[in-house]
Amino acid sequence: MAYFDMRQKRSGNRTTFLGVLLGVVFIYFIYSIRTAPAGTSDPSLRSQSALVAENPLSPPTSGFRKQQKVEGSDAVLPPPPVVHYQLNNLTASAFPALNNEKILILTPLARFYPEYWSNLVALNYPHQHISLGFITPKTKEGNAATAALQEAIRKTQSGPQGQRFQSVTILRQDFDPPITSQDEKERHKMENQKERRASMARARNSLLFTTIGPHTSWVLWLDSDIIETPPTLIQDLASHDKAIIVPNCYQRYIDDKGQEGVRPYDYNSWRDSDIAQEMASQMGPDEILLEGYAEMPTYRTLMAMSAKVGADRDERRLMPLDGVGGTALLVKAEVHRDGAMFPPFPFYHLIETEGFAKMAKRLHFDAFGLPDYFVYHYNE
Amino acid sequence: MNRHHAFANGHAANKKRDDDGYRPYSDRADLENKYIWGMHDLVEDEKPEAAFGRRFEPRKKALHSRSRLIRLGLMALGTIALIIYFIFPSALQGSLLSSADTSLEQSDIETLRYYDLTDAQGSSVGWHREERVLLCTPLRDAAPHLPMFFAHLRNFTYPHRLIDLAFLVSDSKDNTEELLSQMLEAQQADPDPSQHYGEISVIHKDFGQAVSQDFESRHGFAAQASRRKLMARARNWLLSAALRPYHSWVYWRDADVETCPYTVIEDLMRHDKDITVPNIWRPLPDWLGGEQPYDLNSWQESETAMALAETLDEDAVIVEGYAEYATWRPHLAYLRDPYGDPDVEMELDGVGGVSILAKARVFRAGVHFPAFSFERHAETEGFGKMARRMGFSVIGLPHYTVWHLYEPSVDDIRHMEEMEAEKREREKQEKENAAVAKKIQDEFRPVNSQWEEDKQAIAGEAEEANSQSDAKEETRKNEGMKKTDIRQGDGTEELSAKDDGDTAAEGEKVKDKKKSNKAGAKKPKVAAEPREDEDDE
Repeated sequence: MAYFDMRQKRSGNRTTFLGVLLGVVFIYFIYSIRTAPAGTSDPSLRSQSALVAENPLSPPTSGFRKQQKVEGSDAVLPPPPVVHYQLNNLTASAFPALNNEKILILTPLARFYPEYWSNLVALNYPHQHISLGFITPKTKEGNAATAALQEAIRKTQSGPQGQRFQSVTILRQDFDPPITSQDEKERHKMENQKERRASMARARNSLLFTTIGPHTSWVLWLDSDIIETPPTLIQDLASHDKAIIVPNCYQRYIDDKGQEGVRPYDYNSWRDSDIAQEMASQMGPDEILLEGYAEMPTYRTLMAMSAKVGADRDERRLMPLDGVGGTALLVKAEVHRDGAMFPPFPFYHLIETEGFAKMAKRLHFDAFGLPDYFVYHYNE
Repeated sequence: MNRHHAFANGHAANKKRDDDGYRPYSDRADLENKYIWGMHDLVEDEKPEAAFGRRFEPRKKALHSRSRLIRLGLMALGTIALIIYFIFPSALQGSLLSSADTSLEQSDIETLRYYDLTDAQGSSVGWHREERVLLCTPLRDAAPHLPMFFAHLRNFTYPHRLIDLAFLVSDSKDNTEELLSQMLEAQQADPDPSQHYGEISVIHKDFGQAVSQDFESRHGFAAQASRRKLMARARNWLLSAALRPYHSWVYWRDADVETCPYTVIEDLMRHDKDITVPNIWRPLPDWLGGEQPYDLNSWQESETAMALAETLDEDAVIVEGYAEYATWRPHLAYLRDPYGDPDVEMELDGVGGVSILAKARVFRAGVHFPAFSFERHAETEGFGKMARRMGFSVIGLPHYTVWHLYEPSVDDIRHMEEMEAEKREREKQEKENAAVAKKIQDEFRPVNSQWEEDKQAIAGEAEEANSQSDAKEETRKNEGMKKTDIRQGDGTEELSAKDDGDTAAEGEKVKDKKKSNKAGAKKPKVAAEPREDEDDE
């Protein structure tokens, strides 16, 4: 082992081998780029790509292939393909997972709660059939919520395959919310309600009509402050096979004695009463009936109050409803497609989700509630 | 004897002293240094290294050649694999490519979309701001109209790549579906890239209409309410499936528009109103007056109609243009002045659906085509009403006209058949008359002129007779006999024969002609001449 032996060792084996390997990899890379589009002719891949659109103009309920930037400004991309959608074959059945039915979860997002997201990710309906849609106001709070949301999405969508949602759409509202404060007390003041809920209705409609795609079978409205639901929420609600179905929205709290308890939260799900009808008939065309205010006793049958605890409790017990709340609400897509939306104006003296139930009724769809099936609202 | 090797050549004699400052260990002997630095082989330095002698001999022959063999083998394998790969790519696809491709696909899919709806508000100069337009067309048994519709599509001046097309094909019994996709494919494959449209969605959904699409049942009063509600559903399904967050405008256009300015999208957009409709007329055959207002669904609300709406049932639908509901509303259609300013605007409450340009934010806010009775109206009229209810501006352009196709109604068709029959009758009559006239002309010789000539000839002859002998008279008799003989032949002979009368006075000539007649050679020629003369008369 003469230390001054400066001759190059004959280590050509390794170099040549590496060279050849690199060459093969390089040629393979070039080749794979050239044949990448042709690769989708494989039938197994095509079925997968049915869920993946070719271009970003596609319905937001599916992912899309990133488009290669073409060098040069005058380079012309091939025109988007003609896509046929068979809406006759679309089902919304009691067993959505068996029929691979697509669910669109829509959330008007004012604040981002990590508990909301973790609850969403914990839903055990196959995530590749779930698309998410969010709309956030363009306020400081909305910006913060959007940033937090994007971070959460980034984590989930780059996480394990089974956790990833089919697609996510974030919209920024094109109108200003009437009240900047999301403060609980301010928000629930009666005089602010009409304006607030009209704005909310507009946000819901904007979200709904731009994200509902030709593949969507069900729309689940889930408020951003619903932080606890059973993981089987979608399957459970869909199993009743109703056009519109609402679980009971409760809230966990700690009472004065420091004990945990639950109390009803959403009073917008109700069955109509004669008194309320009478009140409505005496109202001006632009006035609305509101629920849960002492100034306006409507004597409606509230679902929030119909819950049974103990041995009586039956999660599958149904009650017909005339007004629904939007905290959690599962709707067959055909209801929305027929035109049922959230009226941002007094519709039969009802507004937003309650007006939606009325409009659906006018289109011959009935709403039902599950008084003993709970979802939980965030406690501020 | 200085045994230090460094002094052998004398160069290093002063080295220690020279390098004193730099080399702290220089005072040590080299041997010592070498020991310290682990160069223990100083003494063997000058011995030739064992390897030196075999320098050019391969050290480990067997191993060397083996590695070369391996290298060669690998290269050969790689080349063969590549060749196979390129020549038969399918052979490897199953194992190698698919796994690589799926991984490639996963990383290539984008699932997050972010849209700011303030970017899609819609402005009066959408084509400058690259605003996307969604063109919605509901189709049912529309195959005969498609070529016309695509001709309009080709002619739109709004940049095609900014227009997304959406069609709803429902309950079609003809070949609308095949024809549509065929024509769309052709449109997107056009060699001119400026003809290509953006996203094209064809939505297939049957609503099971019992109401058929022919003019009579479509426009009959009784069928209106349910028909309009079904149409509204179809429109809503189309819109909800096709509207995307990036759309700034939505243009509703029926397939059966016959004549329309190419710039219609820009023209309506320029008004920068939430909902804009042109005036819809239709051309008529002359016997019906040439033209007629077509779309009566664009109107302003009237007191009468409001009062009427109050009296009606919750599910009733007021439809315009029928005697059953006299609403006395001002209609956009009736306000047209062919020479009026096309930019004149008129506030409306109900709109017709033939050609509507609306900002997408109207639809995003929730305005749709009510498939129920919304304030006693449905479909496009209810759409206008609902938009007004939400505070959007709805205008019509009374002097900007789009021409709907004229489809004759059953009455019209009957009338046209009658007219056609009448015309045929008249033509037949005329033909008969002409035939009779011709027959008369052909079969009976017009003899008036002949008589005149004969008279003159007789007068002349009478004079002549006075001065001529009886012998000549006898030849004339014979001539007359022959003439009648000839007349029993065909018409031409007849004509040539009657010619004889002219020249009867000139005996010589007459005889010559007689001869020629008998010979028959010159018959047709002779026959033609007098006939022409006759015609001239």
